[in-house]
Amino acid sequence: MLRSTRRVLQLSGVAFVVAVLLAVGVLVPRGARAQTKVPRLDYRERTLANGLRVLSAVDKSSPTVAIQVWYKVGSKDDPEGRSGFAHLFEHIMFKSTKNMKSEMMDRLTEDVGGMNNAFTADDVTVYFEVVPSNYLETLLWAEADRLASLNVDDANYKSERDVVKEEFRERVLAPPYGKLFYLLEQKSFSKHPYRRPGIGSIEDLDAASTEDVRAFHSTFYRPDNATLVVVGDFDQKQLDAWVDKYFAPIPKPNRPLPRVSVKEPERTGEMRFVEFGQNVPLPAVAFTFLAPPKASEDSDALRIAESILSSGESSRLYRSLVYEQQVAQSASAGADLREDLSLFSFLGILASGKKPDDLERALMAEIKKMQDAPVTAAELEKAKNQIITNQLRERETNNGKALALGDAAVLLGDPNRANTDIERLSKVTAADVQRVMRKYLTDTNRLVIYYLPESLRPAKPAEEKSGQTSKHERGARVEAGGGK
Amino acid sequence: MSICKELSRRTLQTFDTTSHAMRSLASKSLAVAALLAAFNVAVSAQQPAAAATAQATPPPPAAPRNVPIPKPVERTLPNGLRVVVVERSNMPLVSAALMIRNGGEVDPPQLAGLADMTASLLTKGTQTRTAPQIAEAIEALGGSIESGARWDASTASVGVMSSRIPNAVEILADVVRRPTFKDEEIERLRAQYLDDLTVALGQPGSIARYVASRVVFGDAPYGHPLSGTPESIARIKRDDIVRMHATYYRPDNAILVIGGDIAAADAFKTAERFFADWQKPTAPLPAASAKATATAASAQQRVVVIDKPDAGQAAVLVARTGIRRTDPEFFRGIVANSVLSGYSGRLNQEIRIKRGLSYGARSALETRRDTGPFTAEAQTKNESGAVVAGLLLGELSRLASGELPETELTPRKAVLIGGFARNLETASGLVAQVANLALYGLSFDEINSYINNVQSITAKDVQGFAGSRLAAGAANVIIVGDAKKFLPELQKQYKNVEVIPVTELDLNIAQLRKTK
Repeated sequence: MLRSTRRVLQLSGVAFVVAVLLAVGVLVPRGARAQTKVPRLDYRERTLANGLRVLSAVDKSSPTVAIQVWYKVGSKDDPEGRSGFAHLFEHIMFKSTKNMKSEMMDRLTEDVGGMNNAFTADDVTVYFEVVPSNYLETLLWAEADRLASLNVDDANYKSERDVVKEEFRERVLAPPYGKLFYLLEQKSFSKHPYRRPGIGSIEDLDAASTEDVRAFHSTFYRPDNATLVVVGDFDQKQLDAWVDKYFAPIPKPNRPLPRVSVKEPERTGEMRFVEFGQNVPLPAVAFTFLAPPKASEDSDALRIAESILSSGESSRLYRSLVYEQQVAQSASAGADLREDLSLFSFLGILASGKKPDDLERALMAEIKKMQDAPVTAAELEKAKNQIITNQLRERETNNGKALALGDAAVLLGDPNRANTDIERLSKVTAADVQRVMRKYLTDTNRLVIYYLPESLRPAKPAEEKSGQTSKHERGARVEAGGGK
Repeated sequence: MSICKELSRRTLQTFDTTSHAMRSLASKSLAVAALLAAFNVAVSAQQPAAAATAQATPPPPAAPRNVPIPKPVERTLPNGLRVVVVERSNMPLVSAALMIRNGGEVDPPQLAGLADMTASLLTKGTQTRTAPQIAEAIEALGGSIESGARWDASTASVGVMSSRIPNAVEILADVVRRPTFKDEEIERLRAQYLDDLTVALGQPGSIARYVASRVVFGDAPYGHPLSGTPESIARIKRDDIVRMHATYYRPDNAILVIGGDIAAADAFKTAERFFADWQKPTAPLPAASAKATATAASAQQRVVVIDKPDAGQAAVLVARTGIRRTDPEFFRGIVANSVLSGYSGRLNQEIRIKRGLSYGARSALETRRDTGPFTAEAQTKNESGAVVAGLLLGELSRLASGELPETELTPRKAVLIGGFARNLETASGLVAQVANLALYGLSFDEINSYINNVQSITAKDVQGFAGSRLAAGAANVIIVGDAKKFLPELQKQYKNVEVIPVTELDLNIAQLRKTK
């Protein structure tokens, strides 16, 4: 979730030529290769009596401070019939509270040279600010205020709901592959609420009321469901005192916290869908496989596999599908790690003149290679180097450091995982990668979507609108795609 | 192609393909003392006159803190290569960028996209490495290499852990100095460009920006799409690419910037090791290009609708000429733009926050070597296309003629300064900022004086700039979307609406409509 870069389906690929490795070896003699370390995040952790967890790390390299509040409530907690609600609610958190007028958060951040934003993911909602460090107390006050109270008035609510509907149009309707991404998740889960789209639907958004807003705040926005993270230029004692002053008085409710307990059943056979879009410049083919929860031991090997398949122009998918075979305009793989269960996915956009079946076969061949033989030592080292470099980049800023701590604490249950992550990854072996590829990328665990332009929709059956096609219907699709 | 799973409150800043300049504007420097004076004004303006309890009003800020600003140092090699180094050591990362002082503006009229294709092909093969070997070499280090052209410059850059910087600069030098431009790679890249264009021409937002360039600059060099059109890309030949490289890629037309966790002496040594023997050609540098901005094109205000019946949303854009980077009014311009743009800027206030008509409205004053464009844009449901166009233009007029109280101006300056400072926090942001100053021949002192320059701008300066340089009367309107849903309304406001079906759009000519 934090790793949006990893979920990004980018161009990628791989492949190896001995000469290349030798060339690299000449440039960087092995003995001289000092492994760069990701500097340790020296954080402090405390929990208030009301259950609020506080993580803090001092870094005085710039006179700014990042403040984040992580709430353990995400799109999977959308109320029934209210898909998109957790995200709409996140927008409303910038409207008025007991002591703040609408948009006052912008006055306290943007107007003083800082910034604020928030994001809603499947499992969490995160609010964050970066401000000149002398504004730390002001922002702690403000975050405590919107945790303790939220005022919603009808006019503000409706206007912000219209904004979210425009966001829906901008993400789902306007971009060429927006609808594909929208459908991918809905098709990938059968029971778990991950199947509902985080952005929602126009109908569900219209159905949501200010009453829903109040209920959601009192259900999930409570100190024992929140983690405050502060990183940057501050004095630890002073921070503790401010946290005590502004957050400690917020009571912990007696009500139990509802948690999603639905278990997604295992897939028992390949599923195939053909979807049509209004605005599809080039057809696309996507696969998803159910994968274990983010905290699973296998996640590290899946991340390495993702990097080897998909990171950069030397990655396997780019090298084979885009560069050599030229069957795809872009091709990528992604480990989308979530709290309850994850998706390992593949996405290819066809190169002009190619057929979906060609791309599907090429993707399957790359999966088979990952399963039939271990990745090379050089690929493994490259993947680790790439992950280390990405982590260094993410942690150049206070906000990036705070995201790393929050993610480890809230989604892995231990903030120190931010410090041990690279060590864990470095232990992943080629055999581990091969094992997880065999274990999860099976035929019965595979979902396939062909995403085609509306013009290729078969004349009959007319009523088949974005429905599931049985295997018998594949013939029609293949024909639509241009024949074998 | 990306899945962005997280849903953010703010509009993601992925809209611009055009605004390199803006990106570096939102760049760096910290002399926070001046900043803080501004902060205090802004916040006290918020506070109710009579505070009820300590808990009911925000606690005031503490005293601000100062930090040192990174200072670039430079040296010019005997072959004319200008080398600039800027140290910043909070993370073991280094970025290096080699910049050629010409980009898309030197594309011949029939060969739009030539500079960009030439730059992109640098990493696709050298005398000693194939394309896969280049990718492999840099990625094995955990790094990345990128190349491409923008307006006024062509760039190749690498980013790696600091321990790997000599290897990365060796690769950088190889791709810039010894590319082979193999036919096979040209054809592969041509196919990718055409596919990318197919995707871009399916999106209302990108179509609107292509159209805006033509409307503002006509047939002048800044008018064409930087990455070409389907027709021009098909015409580019290997000889054109080789000539472009031979003409412009020479040490006396290049700048190398190295920034991050590296000592200046080591950086200069690395630069000399891999670039000192780069020969300067005997032929003189080509004379500075002709005016990149057409003066004729801006005479008549155009209202252009591209009818795309399957568009799920309309892209609305208001566009006109802006200023060049070295314009004495540069700081007035960026402050004026900041009043309009950004989350709490006037455009987003009116269009998103007050009316819920868009996920985000913004403007950009893109400054280049010659006069660049000013654009204001928002995406909205097709039905509200005409209304949003009216709101964008209305704010442009109001900036020139209406009130601009200090309580509004001060925070908008803080936004600029804060963004500038945040962009200096990363090695790549630092390098981008320094490279941009070097490209336009500006002093590195501007990093230090940025805050004062912004702070000195008055409301009167902004109003004067808006009236004389951003007048709404000379602004063109472009809407790409399902025309039947907004055209009747738009035609009530304008008599001269040009409606062009997307199937008849021709980006190669200022007229924009295919001739039959």
